[in-house]
Amino acid sequence: MAALPVQALPATPPARARNPLRVWPALPQAATTALLLPSLAFLVMFFAFPAVGLLACSVLTQAPDGTIGLPLTLEHYRHFFGTPLYSHVLLTTLRISLVTTGVAMALGYPVALVMVRTNPLVNRILTMVVIAPLIVSVVVRTYGWQLILANGKTGILNWLLLTTGLMRSPVKLLYSETAVVIGSLHVFYPMMVLPLASALGRIDPRIEDAARTLGATSWRIFRRVTVPLSLPGLAVGATLVFSLTAGSFVTPAILGGSSAQMLGMLVDQQILVVYDWPFGATVATVLVTIVLAVNVVSFRVLNLRRTARAA
Amino acid sequence: MSNRLSGPIAWLLFPVTAAMMFFILAPLLVTVAISFSDTPYVVFPPRGFTMNWYAKVLQDSDFQTSLSFSSLLAVGATMGALLLGVPAAFAVARHQFPGRGAAAAMLLSPLVFPVLITGVALLQLFATLRSDSTPLNMLIAHVLVTMPYVVRTVTASLTLADTNLEDAARTLGAGRWRVFRRITIPQIAPGLAAGALFAFMVSFDNFPISLWLADAQHNPIPLLVFQMIGNVFEPSIAAISTLMILLAMVIVMALERVMGLRRAMAI
Repeated sequence: MAALPVQALPATPPARARNPLRVWPALPQAATTALLLPSLAFLVMFFAFPAVGLLACSVLTQAPDGTIGLPLTLEHYRHFFGTPLYSHVLLTTLRISLVTTGVAMALGYPVALVMVRTNPLVNRILTMVVIAPLIVSVVVRTYGWQLILANGKTGILNWLLLTTGLMRSPVKLLYSETAVVIGSLHVFYPMMVLPLASALGRIDPRIEDAARTLGATSWRIFRRVTVPLSLPGLAVGATLVFSLTAGSFVTPAILGGSSAQMLGMLVDQQILVVYDWPFGATVATVLVTIVLAVNVVSFRVLNLRRTARAA
Repeated sequence: MSNRLSGPIAWLLFPVTAAMMFFILAPLLVTVAISFSDTPYVVFPPRGFTMNWYAKVLQDSDFQTSLSFSSLLAVGATMGALLLGVPAAFAVARHQFPGRGAAAAMLLSPLVFPVLITGVALLQLFATLRSDSTPLNMLIAHVLVTMPYVVRTVTASLTLADTNLEDAARTLGAGRWRVFRRITIPQIAPGLAAGALFAFMVSFDNFPISLWLADAQHNPIPLLVFQMIGNVFEPSIAAISTLMILLAMVIVMALERVMGLRRAMAI
């Protein structure tokens, strides 16, 4: 699916002068409840409840006949962290997600900067090119990368390298961590560029002008003014890219194969192939914990900055 | 100010930007090019020109079944997401009530949770409930993943709408319902359209939820393509992929038209 940016709602409606004739706030509390109840009930029933159920499953025991129940146990976690194969998958997941996030930051910054500092037409084209692939299914985009990265002479990159004479023999890229990083970078790159561009766009140009008037060089302005002011966007982007990469399935399955196994593939294998629900749930819990931890930390950091600035 | 990008920094930025645009488009362009290749296997550069892969794919019964199932599912999910998401967006954007922040967070929470895991959790739930109708299970799951997008887009357009117009209409004697119908709805119509288009595409493209819930008779397009990647080596996959890219481009144009791409994504 097109995984799309996760961002907070525009939190508060813009403050307006108090007006006794305000139409909506005059509605009774019952109306608010009626508007919200169906969606919240749906979310509790089909999201919160099953999610908690699955995570709880990780401390339960599966009987030989497949039923899951008591006694409570931490055995699955011991098994997960005690088996080198699984620790390896965990480390691979963290490594791929970190590298993808780092590369996305390095390559996202220039593009975001150009987007906000260029003329409206170019900005519009760049925005289209960055966003459009988001709406193309991940499976389709990953297929394109499989065509490009394919090993042997049939791979497009190899064809290019051999034809131009840059390489004597084809390189092996497909089914490696590098291939997964390239694919993930492509899939999640917009999540880095868009929040960054919106943070950069909010910087008051007068601050940079002031710095210039005071004699700062453009490099120094970039380092001391632009970068610090864009950090919230960078934090949002990094959180998104990291969590989405860590939780991905399609890209590692197609581009990584068995040599770059990630947690998502392990969950799939444990549940659909081995039918070991408690252990699959354990792997899922580890993945969810990583993703939520990264989100909570980044949310805290952003909030601290905001309160620090308000104070 | 367009003169802000100058000096050595600009010399670095423009080539990187151009390279990244190429990086973003490359896998899509390659797929389109290969889909016309007149060879029984994937080869680059593509040889000859043929539309045969499209003819083959469009006549393929698996593809037809998947296409109609995916389309029905996406339409159903969009309607469900609008039905649940639009009222919720109204409550969050226009009403002050205790717990408003928590309600907004709850509505968007499926976006933060790894989608793959949401899928497993639903599989377990449906197994426990003995709900064995695949289309119904998948509809529920797809409503769940598309609703947050509707909530976000509609909330954004409600926040941007000018409430003074509503106040003015009230002052001039219009009833609440009339204000809603004649003032509010027309103002947020682009947001509603964008939310619906988004929900449709998110459902149509979804893989990590469908992976768990689909069966052989109800196999959405992304799953079909994924299975083909594993065992078909001819350019027919490229042909299906190109059709999906084409659909996505149509939706992108429509989104840009109705609301502006960036605003529709609420970024």
